[in-house]
Amino acid sequence: MNVRNLFITAVRAIAKNKMRSSLTSVGIIIGVSSVIVMVGMGNSARVAVRDKITTFGTNAMSVFRPSRAFDGRDIENLRRIFHVKYISPLIYDTYIPVVFQNRNMLSRIYGVNNDYFQIKDMALQSGRYFSAEEVTALARVVIIGTTVWNEIFGNADPIGRTVLIKSVPFQVIGLLAEQGSAFSGRDFDNVLVMPYTTASTRIKNRKDFDELYIAAHNEGMVEETAEVVRQYFRRKHNLPPGAPDDFRVKTSIEQLKVAENISKTLTILLAGIALISLFVGGVGIMNIMLVSVSERTREIGIRMAIGAKRNDILLQFLIESVTLSSVGGAVGIALGMSIYYAIIYFLEWPFIMSFMSIIVSFLFSFAVGIFFGYYPARKAADLKPIDALRYE
Amino acid sequence: MENNIIDIKDLVKIYRLSDEVSVRALKGVSLTVRRGEFISIMGASGSGKSTFMNILGFLDTPTSGKYILDGIDGSSLSLNEKAEIRNKKIGFIFQGFNLLSRTSALENVELPLMYKGGVSPQQMRERAQKLLAMVGLAGREHHHPNKLSGGEQQRVAIARSLINEPAILLADEPTGNLDTKSSNEVMDIFTSLNREMGITIILVTHEPDIAEYSDRKVVFRDGLIIEDAPISKRKKAAVTGKSR
Ligand SMILES: Nc1ncnc2c1ncn2[C@@H]1O[C@H](COP(=O)(O)OP(=O)(O)OP(=O)(O)O)[C@@H](O)[C@H]1O
Ligand SMILES: [Mg+2]
Repeated sequence: MNVRNLFITAVRAIAKNKMRSSLTSVGIIIGVSSVIVMVGMGNSARVAVRDKITTFGTNAMSVFRPSRAFDGRDIENLRRIFHVKYISPLIYDTYIPVVFQNRNMLSRIYGVNNDYFQIKDMALQSGRYFSAEEVTALARVVIIGTTVWNEIFGNADPIGRTVLIKSVPFQVIGLLAEQGSAFSGRDFDNVLVMPYTTASTRIKNRKDFDELYIAAHNEGMVEETAEVVRQYFRRKHNLPPGAPDDFRVKTSIEQLKVAENISKTLTILLAGIALISLFVGGVGIMNIMLVSVSERTREIGIRMAIGAKRNDILLQFLIESVTLSSVGGAVGIALGMSIYYAIIYFLEWPFIMSFMSIIVSFLFSFAVGIFFGYYPARKAADLKPIDALRYE
Repeated sequence: MENNIIDIKDLVKIYRLSDEVSVRALKGVSLTVRRGEFISIMGASGSGKSTFMNILGFLDTPTSGKYILDGIDGSSLSLNEKAEIRNKKIGFIFQGFNLLSRTSALENVELPLMYKGGVSPQQMRERAQKLLAMVGLAGREHHHPNKLSGGEQQRVAIARSLINEPAILLADEPTGNLDTKSSNEVMDIFTSLNREMGITIILVTHEPDIAEYSDRKVVFRDGLIIEDAPISKRKKAAVTGKSR
């Protein structure tokens, strides 16, 4: 018998028991749709994390030191090294009150130089960056993030206005483009960016810096640059060979790798769970196929009596179980894509169409049909014609 | 071509029910059937008629003995070869019709052709339709077996058994579930198949009336043939009266 006729026979047999067939497919549908959702979420998470981290700039690294901080000499010395393209100090402080007219809120200050905007790839919506004079002259100028703009300016044009930061008047000279928020929920747009000189004398009253931000010339030079920076600080701190660093150089690539590893592990774990449900779905198919074979023993006998060969019967039942599992797989793919899309939509994560996961999960459900359908099909094919015919 | 289509010698069938209990259903049966013969098999219930027919039809295997069908030694055949012989050389008609219940009459008739392969769907349809018309079921092609009377179902089964132009028809109590009128219709069909197409027929029946349609009567008792004789006054009137 040719495959087309076998397929028609299989579809009819499935259609005869619509309820039973759909219930049987539920296992596969759940398995496949969870594979699709989980793989999709994993991919989206990876891209979302990458986007977050690359706002940091892929060429960039930060150096920080828990005990003793950096000073202006470090900036001067490092700037002379060929590898260092941009370098900015960071003076950081949180819970800083900012007031405009009758509105006020708490924000964070970033004391930096103009390089910082290059390193972090931060664009302005309006206004301008600091001038060199403003940095040396400790000018009271500030570039604000969009959250600050929303909260205390109510989205009115802030440029040229004066705000009070920790009771010190500052002139707003720029408005940052929207940055988004971190996974931790930290709002990158609730910031007040000012010259580091101003921040250290007028707000923090400390000369040293919390962190240094450095950019290499390109992504390929990040590792090398990080090593040069490391050697600079080891020498400066007189660390003997073998002693551990007393500071840390964090590259964005490194962070990216960590994030990718986490999401990869997560994907594998979730895909594993999904595979287990596919397996359970397969067992369901096997169960129903065994029932089907014993219900249709007489039919098998009739087919054998009029000339069906062992392989005809084997294929008939295999095609039936593969059809069950593949249709379940296709429905599962559609369902999974919808669920994935819905979740992504609410999380505002990027939607990533993975044809690979669609093809693999379809092939997998196909394979489940063969694997779990083979035993019942063989049972049917190995019946003796006369026993099958006499079966009541 | 050999003159004998069937050559059976010392056929024995023993059913093993357990280590101690076994049933000797056939105790050494020998029979030769000439091409074109119409044989009826009779005998009491349990005498081994169905067992014998199942072996003839390659549905079951004998415990010992020789069975040659159309020059082919049954003992040397693989399962697939047996399936092929069932498909091409043998037509079965059963007491219980054995049609696929949720499949139309037409598709039931086509089924052996599908297993044979190499025939286009249009050709299948044509041949099946022709056979259904021949057994008087034109216009009933798309009826399902449960919408047909017993006699009609048996005629569908006859059409199915003929579609691969078998050399021999094996019918195990084909009229056992039918009333007299339907029985006669079915027997008329058998007679004309035998006369006009030269198909060899072996038919099991309990009814002497039915046996009278055949040329030769073979009687079983306790797994042995106890009588094998030609039928002198064969029922011919019923057939020749009708032109088929
Ligand atoms: N599968 C089987 N297992 C065990 N014994 C069997 C089996 N089939 C038939 N028999 C036995 O073999 C003997 C012959 O049975 P068979 O069916 O051939 O009789 P029969 O002549 O066709 O009877 P009937 O006229 O009732 O159809 C009986 O004793 C029966 O009980
Ligand atoms: Mg019988």
